[in-house]
Amino acid sequence: MRRSSLLTLALLAGIGLFGQSLWVVDARLSELVTGVHGMADIIARASPPDFSSLPDIAWPALETLDIALFGTVCGVIMAVPFAVLAARNVTPSRPLYLFARGIIALTRAVPDLIWALLFVTAVGLGPFPGALALSVHSIGMLGRLFAELIEDMDMGAVEALTLTGAGRTQVFTHAVVPTLLPSLLGIALYRFDENLRSSLVLGFVGAGGLGFRMLTAMNLFQYREVSMLLIVTFLLVVGAEQISAGLRRLMA
Amino acid sequence: MAGNPARLVVRGLAKRYPNGRVALKGVDLCVRDGELVVILGSNGSGKSTLLRSIVRLIEPTEGEVLIDGRSIAGLGAEELRQARMACGMIFQHANLVRRRNVLANVATGALGRHRTFGSALGLLPRCELEAAHGFLKEVGLVDFAQQRAGTLSGGQQQRVAIARALAQRPRLLLADEPVASLDPESAREIMALLRRLATEDGLAVLTVLHQPDLALAYADRVIGLKDGEVVFDGKPDAISVPMVDLLYQRQAA
Repeated sequence: MRRSSLLTLALLAGIGLFGQSLWVVDARLSELVTGVHGMADIIARASPPDFSSLPDIAWPALETLDIALFGTVCGVIMAVPFAVLAARNVTPSRPLYLFARGIIALTRAVPDLIWALLFVTAVGLGPFPGALALSVHSIGMLGRLFAELIEDMDMGAVEALTLTGAGRTQVFTHAVVPTLLPSLLGIALYRFDENLRSSLVLGFVGAGGLGFRMLTAMNLFQYREVSMLLIVTFLLVVGAEQISAGLRRLMA
Repeated sequence: MAGNPARLVVRGLAKRYPNGRVALKGVDLCVRDGELVVILGSNGSGKSTLLRSIVRLIEPTEGEVLIDGRSIAGLGAEELRQARMACGMIFQHANLVRRRNVLANVATGALGRHRTFGSALGLLPRCELEAAHGFLKEVGLVDFAQQRAGTLSGGQQQRVAIARALAQRPRLLLADEPVASLDPESAREIMALLRRLATEDGLAVLTVLHQPDLALAYADRVIGLKDGEVVFDGKPDAISVPMVDLLYQRQAA
């Protein structure tokens, strides 16, 4: 078959694939049009934002930040040992390698929302199950990146220091740590950004913070508070992104 | 020089890799204090295997290596560490910790002498930082002490690596193609530095090279290695053009 006819076929297949998704998701343009009215209504009821609720929002906002902070810090602490085991060039044994790879794959594959639901069942409502969920999910997300970092590490300095007669611990702290630490911290900061966004969603399943507050406000039809919450959320996320990007630039 | 004590003696060193490849077939050599010995040979002649066997990065199959008259075969981990301290190693690439500054890189050469709690935490002994300044002066890079090692040129990085080796206070310097990735000017600088360390500081220097012209210009003695065997061992002016051709497997014109 000629190349151009193959291309046409691929294009048709692509269009067909997208077409079936329209059917499956039950997409109806007409409802989007008639729905505009409803949306305008919500926006009208949500404005102006309720600035008087700001003092009450401060605490949930802090909760959201701290859920992300706890999740990131605990995630890093737990991810490092798994990453060492899961890096082909430094793992002490094949079974441990497979075990660590398995843990990393499992904690990655199960979304943080599911982990939050599990932990809410286990320890009850509030910010703590959210923080636990992010910690566990971060093991998988960070563990894989850390392991790749270790596998790609330039071993030249390690060999050189070993040959100067330095001990194993000294080689680790003087060659491995300075080589890896900046990239490791960069990845951790990036993870904090992602965890902050996740921690908002986790609130909707009862794991505290701004998300939980937003769910409550929506259920009580307090749309002006909802819009205030959205503004605070926006500022938090953008602020955290700017700060962590700045810190990453500083370390590069 | 001939009367100087032999710092390094290699006797009947052989290495057969598990895949059956024979890299070394009974190599004998000796390097004395104050002597700069160059090993010449084409790729696969066993040069790197020889150097790496001396410090037991590779375990030789047969033969022995004596550093300061002491055999390094069968040493335990702690004794091997001690033996390696007396023997500085320089690589083709400088193998510095690129993100640390030059001074810290030099001072890490002395870690083996300071097995303290602080050094295990990543701190460098203060007295070694002062000593490192001295070694940087010796390689002419004292102005770069606070720069990140990764920002230096290849030739400068190699000089930092030499300063790091000096921080070990070695009596023997081994160099594995130290100028292979440098431009001709930097290559001559490195060779001149090694020459000076041998002549003025009395170090025994053994270096693998690919450039016969540098060997002729700087070496006290040249060892030609071909297919894992020593085929030449003598003064550089005694090496003939056919011998160089043989080492590098070129057809004689």
